[in-house]
Amino acid sequence: MKLSHICKTFYPDSPKEIKALKDINLIFEKGEFTTLSGESGSGKTTLLNIIGGLDAATSGKIFFEGEEISAYSEEKMAKLRLNHIGFIFQAYNLIQVLTVRENIGFIMRLLKLDEVAINARILELVSILQIEDILDKLPGEISGGQQQRVAVARAVASRPKLILADEPTANLDSKNSERLMQMLRTLNEKEHVTVIFASHDRYVLEQSKRVIVLSDGAVIEDH
Amino acid sequence: MYKIAKHLAWLSIWRRKTRSLMVIMMIALSLGGLLGLQGLYDGMISHLINTTIRSDSGEISVYAKEYRLQKSLDYRLSSISNYEEVFSKIEGLETYSIRLEQEGLIATAHKSFGAILKGIYLENEQNFGQLSTFITQGDYSFGKENTAALIGSELAKKLTLSIGSRVIFTAQDASGEINSISFRITGILKTGNPSIDDSSVFVSMKQMSKFLNLQQSATQIALRVKESKQIRIIQKELQTLFPEADILRWDELYPLLIQMQDLIHIFNLASYAIVFIVAALGIFGVMLVSVLERMREFSIMLAIGTPYKMVRDQILLEASFLGCIGYMSGAFFGWLLLWYMSTSGIDMRSFEAGLELYGYSVVMYANIHLYYFVQAFFAVFFATLLSVIWPLLKLKKIKPIQMIQGKTV
Repeated sequence: MKLSHICKTFYPDSPKEIKALKDINLIFEKGEFTTLSGESGSGKTTLLNIIGGLDAATSGKIFFEGEEISAYSEEKMAKLRLNHIGFIFQAYNLIQVLTVRENIGFIMRLLKLDEVAINARILELVSILQIEDILDKLPGEISGGQQQRVAVARAVASRPKLILADEPTANLDSKNSERLMQMLRTLNEKEHVTVIFASHDRYVLEQSKRVIVLSDGAVIEDH
Repeated sequence: MYKIAKHLAWLSIWRRKTRSLMVIMMIALSLGGLLGLQGLYDGMISHLINTTIRSDSGEISVYAKEYRLQKSLDYRLSSISNYEEVFSKIEGLETYSIRLEQEGLIATAHKSFGAILKGIYLENEQNFGQLSTFITQGDYSFGKENTAALIGSELAKKLTLSIGSRVIFTAQDASGEINSISFRITGILKTGNPSIDDSSVFVSMKQMSKFLNLQQSATQIALRVKESKQIRIIQKELQTLFPEADILRWDELYPLLIQMQDLIHIFNLASYAIVFIVAALGIFGVMLVSVLERMREFSIMLAIGTPYKMVRDQILLEASFLGCIGYMSGAFFGWLLLWYMSTSGIDMRSFEAGLELYGYSVVMYANIHLYYFVQAFFAVFFATLLSVIWPLLKLKKIKPIQMIQGKTV
């Protein structure tokens, strides 16, 4: 994935104007395990949302596998997200009326994968994430740590090329944070998924292979 | 994808069980009540029409031209056998009844009123409209010597007559002479048709012909037609064959009944509009609140790549499920109500005076027709579709990222 001269301005041409991102140029290689870091308001979540096509850049171009996606229509972008990007949100955001099993299989079913393959993948993931015993429970019946693991399972289930995780450990205790990071690391190594975090959690930063630090909407460090 | 939307929609309507059940009940009760009322009103008007056809007009009546305006024996049908010969050749005709009537004065020792004396064949009238079923007191008979009479219930009440009472009827005969005839009452009729109950006296055709000094004559021949779709065809055919006569359908003879029927239809339409609004508002309220409180969830679904079309289908299906369950419950409740009212009837004896004034029966029976349920289905269906437009527009406007970040709509 390549970001070229990405700028994002909120409330342009108004007294409330905020320049959230200023001329961001980045390349993410396949299989990276990267964290976008920075203080609160530095623009890391905005950048993550633009990478995932949830928000549009004010200017600049985004390329995914060599194809420019910044001018995609909403429908085309939704299709790209469905097929290639997995999201993990801070607040888990599971579908409350579906069981754990159905939540994990949700995207695979939208992709119309074979039902046998879906069930096999669900069993494989719940085994890795150690949530076999809650398969038929609803999100409201399980703990926050378990919900986050289900969200991870949902995000990786369809084997996306890119996983975007926004503060995935923010609502978890240290034990659950460690477990989550280990799991994502394992998935990254085993399935060569590119993972990009937006986080200022020290543990996440320690686990990352690459850390990009943002400040006032600009990249100030990339190591 | 439709399967997922259907699954999500079904689960979602039971998220707030009480709320969904309330709206289902609201649709069911209003729809059931409406179906019950529609059947009852239709039943009332059908009963009125049926009574009128059975007791008087038939589906078609034949009069001499001018008779209905002048009510004079000068304008009578003669050579009745010619008519009978033609009627026997018309396949669509079930039966007919020949009547000879004259206006006059009916009197007891104490009271007298204007009345209509009708000469009939009892057996024919029985085949024609089961006239005997209207007898409330006495027998369906003109006595052993065929010289007694049957009288309308209201007229009997006005004259304070009972079975066995004697009355005198005075009228002009065919030659203009004033004649009187005396007879004993053997039966009292209550048809629900005010023109009969208030003023008619029935005697045998033989006695009437003798009284009026007429043979082979009639003032009305009422016809029963096998199928209603044949009424106009037969009317046209008879009009061609008997240009000297007026061939009139029941609805031409009793235009008020048609007006009443139209009024009932308008009332039913207005009732449907009310149910439509109730259903639409009920589903709209539930769907709007339900969509607004789940904006975040929909945003997540859209963010992870769910097509808008699927979310839209989910909401449409949720509303459809509510509408369908409401409709089915309402249709079942309405059917139960209609079934009860069509078999047992509703006893409205406490409103007897008012109902009888307009010719309604005190025990009202409802009609049941498939089209009631079809109309109701379309009312609920369109209400369902309308009710989700606004929530869907709200959904279309959301920006998933704003909702995920906790901003309101």
